[in-house]
Amino acid sequence: MNGSTCGWRVTVVPLFELRGISKEFPGVKALDDVSFEIRAGEVHMLVGENGAGKSTLMKILCGAYRADRGSFFHRGEPVTINDSTAARTFGIAVIFQDFTLVPYLDIAQNIFLGCEFSGRLPGLIDQRRIHTEAKRVLDMVGFNIDPRTLVHGLGVAQQQMVEIAKALSQDASILVMDEPTAALSDRETERLFAMIARLKKNGVAIIYISHRLSEVFALGDRITVLRDGRKIASLLPAETTPDHLVTLMVGRPVDTTYTRLSRPTPGEVVLQVKNLSGPSGFADINLTVRAGEIVGLSGLVGSGRTEVARAIFGVDRVTAGEIRLFGERIGGSAEDSARRGMALIPENRKTQGLALTRSVGDNIVLAGLRKLFPLGFFIPRRAMKAARAIIEKLRIATPTPRRPVATLSGGNQQKVVIGKWLNADARFYIFDEPTRGIDVGAKAEIFRLLDGLVHSGAAILMISSEQIEIVHICDRAYVMRSGRIAGELTHHELTEANIVRLGIDQ
Amino acid sequence: MKTAADMVTHSRLALSGDILQMLYRLLAVVLLCATLAMLSDVFLTTNNLLNVLRQTALLFLMASGLTLVILTAGLDLSVGANIALSACLAASVIKTTGSPLLGMATGIGCGAMVGLANGILVTALRIPSFIATYGMMWMLTGVTYYYMAGETIHGFPPGFRQLGSGYLLGVPTPVYVMVLFLLIGALFAQRTIWGQQIYAIGANPVAARLSGVPVERRLALVYAVSGAMAGLASLIILARINSAQGDIGEELTLPAIAAVLVGGTSLFGGSGTVAGTLIGALFLTILLNGMNLLQIHSSWQPLVTGCIILLAVWIDNRTRRIGE
Amino acid sequence: MSTGRLTFASVSIARVPGVAVVLAVLCVGFGATSPGFATFANIANILTQSTILLLLALPMTVIIMTEGLDLSMGAVLTFASIVLAITVVTTGSPMLGFLAALAVGFCFGLGNGMLIAVLDIPPFITTLGTLGIAQGLSLLVTDGQSVVGIPRSVESIYSGTAVGIPMPVIIGALAYGVTHTLLYHTRFGTYVFALGGNREALRVAGISVRAMLIRVYVFGGLMAGFAALLMTARLNSAHPTAGIGMEFDAIAAVAVGGTSFERGNGWLFGTLLGVIAVGVLRNGLNLLAVPSSAQVACIGALVIIALFIDGLRTER
Repeated sequence: MNGSTCGWRVTVVPLFELRGISKEFPGVKALDDVSFEIRAGEVHMLVGENGAGKSTLMKILCGAYRADRGSFFHRGEPVTINDSTAARTFGIAVIFQDFTLVPYLDIAQNIFLGCEFSGRLPGLIDQRRIHTEAKRVLDMVGFNIDPRTLVHGLGVAQQQMVEIAKALSQDASILVMDEPTAALSDRETERLFAMIARLKKNGVAIIYISHRLSEVFALGDRITVLRDGRKIASLLPAETTPDHLVTLMVGRPVDTTYTRLSRPTPGEVVLQVKNLSGPSGFADINLTVRAGEIVGLSGLVGSGRTEVARAIFGVDRVTAGEIRLFGERIGGSAEDSARRGMALIPENRKTQGLALTRSVGDNIVLAGLRKLFPLGFFIPRRAMKAARAIIEKLRIATPTPRRPVATLSGGNQQKVVIGKWLNADARFYIFDEPTRGIDVGAKAEIFRLLDGLVHSGAAILMISSEQIEIVHICDRAYVMRSGRIAGELTHHELTEANIVRLGIDQ
Repeated sequence: MKTAADMVTHSRLALSGDILQMLYRLLAVVLLCATLAMLSDVFLTTNNLLNVLRQTALLFLMASGLTLVILTAGLDLSVGANIALSACLAASVIKTTGSPLLGMATGIGCGAMVGLANGILVTALRIPSFIATYGMMWMLTGVTYYYMAGETIHGFPPGFRQLGSGYLLGVPTPVYVMVLFLLIGALFAQRTIWGQQIYAIGANPVAARLSGVPVERRLALVYAVSGAMAGLASLIILARINSAQGDIGEELTLPAIAAVLVGGTSLFGGSGTVAGTLIGALFLTILLNGMNLLQIHSSWQPLVTGCIILLAVWIDNRTRRIGE
Repeated sequence: MSTGRLTFASVSIARVPGVAVVLAVLCVGFGATSPGFATFANIANILTQSTILLLLALPMTVIIMTEGLDLSMGAVLTFASIVLAITVVTTGSPMLGFLAALAVGFCFGLGNGMLIAVLDIPPFITTLGTLGIAQGLSLLVTDGQSVVGIPRSVESIYSGTAVGIPMPVIIGALAYGVTHTLLYHTRFGTYVFALGGNREALRVAGISVRAMLIRVYVFGGLMAGFAALLMTARLNSAHPTAGIGMEFDAIAAVAVGGTSFERGNGWLFGTLLGVIAVGVLRNGLNLLAVPSSAQVACIGALVIIALFIDGLRTER
């Protein structure tokens, strides 16, 4: 048998086991001889950088992909998983990040989608039974809600619970969760952890993928680290530390915290926002940003930060208050803001920041077309030259500006978005989660970029959900809560604890 | 000497992929011509070829504005009905004022106004373009029929008629108009910042907006241009057939869409060229001309055009998949 | 009944104002301006004539709920009625004619479904294409002429009554009942919501999205075939331009009724009200001697207003 100590429950044979799984895609070896044990009643954490193979492994487990090599064992018996139906017979269920719920059906109908109970007449379904059974499952999960509620009106956390109920209704004994707390508030995260504890008690095995090391240690019974498609280690939380884990994930000792060598002295006031309110979910916002500063905008997911950013940039409507850029009153139009030197690097670079089918060069020059061609005529050669200058300056890894930007890696794509605004001579940048979905190694580069920007006199407002980032990168920060500014932290007051304290519901 | 393969792999050459695509399409046109030449004695006669050119010019003018709309991932189903209304109004004005110039201004102006109305429906009222222009098509048809009350207007001054049925240096006049707008259109799309912005809107409207592109204004512009081109096309038709009635141009909507799609512009926006639309218009006109020469019943034409559209979309889908 | 009640209740607060207000305004307006409007005979007339539209609008609701569209319905209706008429005239059997019409509807529905589901062509382009095909076929087969000589038995389907209620109204009620059951009490209906709301949910549940899409458009085709029977009965003939544009009225009815184009939500009863609204509009305009060409413009305006209101509702 395997030599590692089992968790707190003594089981000889794991509930499910994958052995020697390998999978190749054209040009990429996604998984190389990975073995993974799943034990009942245990939370098994799966960690690794983006591209390490975590989601490929889980897709193979749930039958969405087929492994090129490797074997599966259910309670020690060799089995095969060829498709998702087979996976389901072994009780494997995945809670996706993008929920698979139908908005205008109610909770019960969503739970039993595909497995409706037949009614008396042929072809009809028994709605009553669907609703009573749903209630039973919801109670089991501890979710107290009327199963007739339409999914449409539910919040993210509630939808997630419906997804979990859905998995349980199919007698899931192995639950896979991929970054489940990414969009949850602290209180909702607590509820989720309570639910997970309940599930553990019922013998359900949980595979939990997360980037948040605090969660990994708080919740995990066992941790497996993947790197470049290989399993690097499988250990107990007691056997390791966060820094050690990161070293395993990255393969080299990495300074997880980027420290800024020098901070420029703040210059003139670049952005001044007074009493700003808007229908998209914020009220009475006051903030200032000076040249040479990186000001953080912190707060929980849903506290209204992105809404404020969009309103400042001019994309969303404002009902009260004023915005002054370089002393002049502006508002209402993204085109105007861009022309005056404001930049917005949005949260989701693929859907909001880039035209994926267009070339790197076309993307880079888009915001600065007017500046580059004041007469209105577009000259491709001049555009490419400008694009090449930016590519060089930001060290974007692409052989030529003509490649479609979709072929670039996440970090380089983010550089293209930044480059777009650099090319437009922006002097004030709003970054919304600048390092989301970017590898640890590339993050440092992005921060170096930000540093360079402010050293050349620009001003930055940075939204981030990673408190560590805010503390290390920003000069000071505002914390938002429920659509309002809960407080401002000066450089000395800038600690993770203070940010959290201001950000939570009292 | 560089081969086509060299041109594709040599990344230094701009638009090599696009040029190759256009060459393929030209090849298709040549093949079609060769086939028709074999099947019909009449096809290669000077008279027929000039006719084809004239018809191509008309179709292209219609389809050129439509190209811009489709580049933004939109659709304008009202172009045919727009032609009808613009033509009838222009005809009335010419008859009542006796001034072709005033009539022409009316025709183009009406077309542009209709286009602008479409633009407003799409940008301000946020109605999906195919629904908005579909509804507009019915409204325009209704208004035109009501206005004409079943009658026909005919007999326009000979100077005006030159525009549609005349020749200049042996080449039909509409061809000159076509070349002019080919140049204008290609220049606008590829060599102005508005053109670049339009491509960006088609590729990703959200990213375009967040990059400071005035999306609403550009969309309104493309629909207005599409309408104005329909207005221009209506004048050419008027000049050629020397009469106006409620249903002219009706049969041109499907071929115009087909021309744009066959020319390589993707329904999903962000890629395509005005020059490609010209090739598409050529292809379609020759095909329909061939069908006429082979005495295939005209009822088959919408059928064939419909099938071509479906085929073009399917091919577009496939190439997108491969590209991804 | 629970989902039916749920849908009704959760929707009523937001929706009743829209289409009911429009209907009320139209009725009051026409009642005031035309003496012949508010008579029992006229209202019965409106209901009877609206049945054909209802038969098209019901499946159109389902199709629009899946974020699709069927622009070919009118042309398919026309071609089906021509096939029906020819079959009846040559074989003498109305039943065979009816089956032939259903077959035509089925084939076109299948064709639409396959192009949309398998070849991934956007619905409005697909059905635009099949519209052209159906229209072309209608013209080819009839050479532009009407098909006459329909036996009385067919005609009586439209003009007859049962228990004092006109046959068409009974047929319409039946169709409504069937669609309602289909939408709210069968797996098919549940999956329709998913097709429009979140297709991924179906895939994950192991249900074939393609098969569902095809079924939806086949449903539309079959109903068009069914409506062909009523239309041929009503006109006592079949003409290649008879049903042209009816899909526009159907889409208008669905839009006015509150079913939106982009959200996987639908209100069948709203469509019923929308059909009546369109019927009232046409009837009222007829009484005011507005020519049918201008009527189309009015319906177009109605659709735009309805979509505008729908857009307002989403903003909120």
